[in-house]
Amino acid sequence: MSTVLHPGPAPSARQLILNGIFAENPVFRLALSLCPAVAVTTTVLNGLLLGVAVLFVQVLSSLTVTLAKRLIHPRVRIPVYTIIIAVWVSAIDMSLAAFAPALYAQVGLYVKLIVAFAIIISRLEVFASRQPLVPTFFDGLGMGLGFLLALLMIGAFRELLGSGSFAGIALAPGKPLLFFALPAGGFFSIALLMALFNWIERRTRGGKAARAKSAGGHGV
Amino acid sequence: MNLHVIQPKPKLSGREIARIVLSMSVACLAGAAVLGLVYLGTERYQRASVEATERGAIRDMLGLGATARLLEVRQYLVPGARQVVYRAAPLGATAGTAHEVTFTFDGALAGEREVPVAVPVGKEWTPLGRMFVATQAGRPAGFVVQGETHGYKAPIRLFVAMEPDFEIVDMRIIETTDDPGLGAEVAQPWFREQYVGRSAEEIARLDVTKDPMPEDWKQALVAFARRAPDGPARHRELLQRERTRPIYAVTGATISSRAVTEGVRKTVDHFRRRWWLLAPHLEGSL
Repeated sequence: MSTVLHPGPAPSARQLILNGIFAENPVFRLALSLCPAVAVTTTVLNGLLLGVAVLFVQVLSSLTVTLAKRLIHPRVRIPVYTIIIAVWVSAIDMSLAAFAPALYAQVGLYVKLIVAFAIIISRLEVFASRQPLVPTFFDGLGMGLGFLLALLMIGAFRELLGSGSFAGIALAPGKPLLFFALPAGGFFSIALLMALFNWIERRTRGGKAARAKSAGGHGV
Repeated sequence: MNLHVIQPKPKLSGREIARIVLSMSVACLAGAAVLGLVYLGTERYQRASVEATERGAIRDMLGLGATARLLEVRQYLVPGARQVVYRAAPLGATAGTAHEVTFTFDGALAGEREVPVAVPVGKEWTPLGRMFVATQAGRPAGFVVQGETHGYKAPIRLFVAMEPDFEIVDMRIIETTDDPGLGAEVAQPWFREQYVGRSAEEIARLDVTKDPMPEDWKQALVAFARRAPDGPARHRELLQRERTRPIYAVTGATISSRAVTEGVRKTVDHFRRRWWLLAPHLEGSL
């Protein structure tokens, strides 16, 4: 089977986007960048803002790397990737501070941390540095959307259970299960949603392939 | 057994090193150019949003309606001339004139003039602080003064809002790097509301205690901060008892609590003395 990691015939845009959202979802499949995924997802809006920031950084960095890959010396490619990511993160950080100051005040710290997100640099190394412009764009878009949707799901789950509200609108009095709003609860939320993800995938594909693939994650 | 032999990497030639240096340099330069462009594009909006936040905070602290005008007074030190300059202009003004009043170190008036707002201040002028004067019908309706104090780690910046008779109406921590859960707790409404309603003379004598805060006082402060309907009444009633008592420190953050108290005390004290000097010269701007 030809996967994204082992380039065969170029996959279509639809395949690449679905790959980022389902088969190689950064949070639920690759288990990358779990730390920030736990830290910011106490509410849906925080998850949304960080997800959008990651989406932009991923697409812009992937495009930069694929366009400049001939200029990047292989021996210093990791430092150069880091510079590229840092530049886009700073640009988005400044834009958010200017245009969404209220939200920025809450998640600003985590936006700066996107520089160190494993998911972004890993897509640069395994995809953008080897593939042409168009597939790279869709891979970045798919991965960014996958991360964004994962953060939205975790944020909605935790806000509903932990604070009894959705997007800041109170739905239940008090705090039903405060545990889910706390950091440890964040990891449990991810585990529960990951299990749900696996269950759905197994039901829809009945696939052994899916089971084999889901074994083992890595990274922070 | 599978022995992994580490292959020595081929030695880098001079040309190769030059290419690496070039690669990194190009990356850094291009990155710097992108950041410069983004900064130029967003700076205006960021300043505007900081200003809108400040304006909202000031109105909110003084409890003013939209009809009140806000005058911003910036204070500068001119070390060479041994002078202090106050420059007053409507908050956020980008055109029009500012009123500049200059004093010598011993408080004697050294000059007074009108300058266009757009004229930048002198290069050697050191900013000392900012204060905001709210005016209604040509009379001061309240003051918000920016103050600074040494926190547990780094300076804590705060805003103190006062009535025209210098009674405290509100206090906000604008910036602190003290630890969340400990020193940063001084930004909690129940802590900062302790200063509200005290006169400048009471603030000048204010002390800090590690004793636990009485439960009814804490509840009254929380209700007051939440703007509960009975909040002001309960707060006024208990303030009669607490007025002569010290500020209750945040548990585990006595140093930060003392720092904030000292900051409020200094801010009020300095502002009162400055205002007596300055007020007669600002009447035209109010």
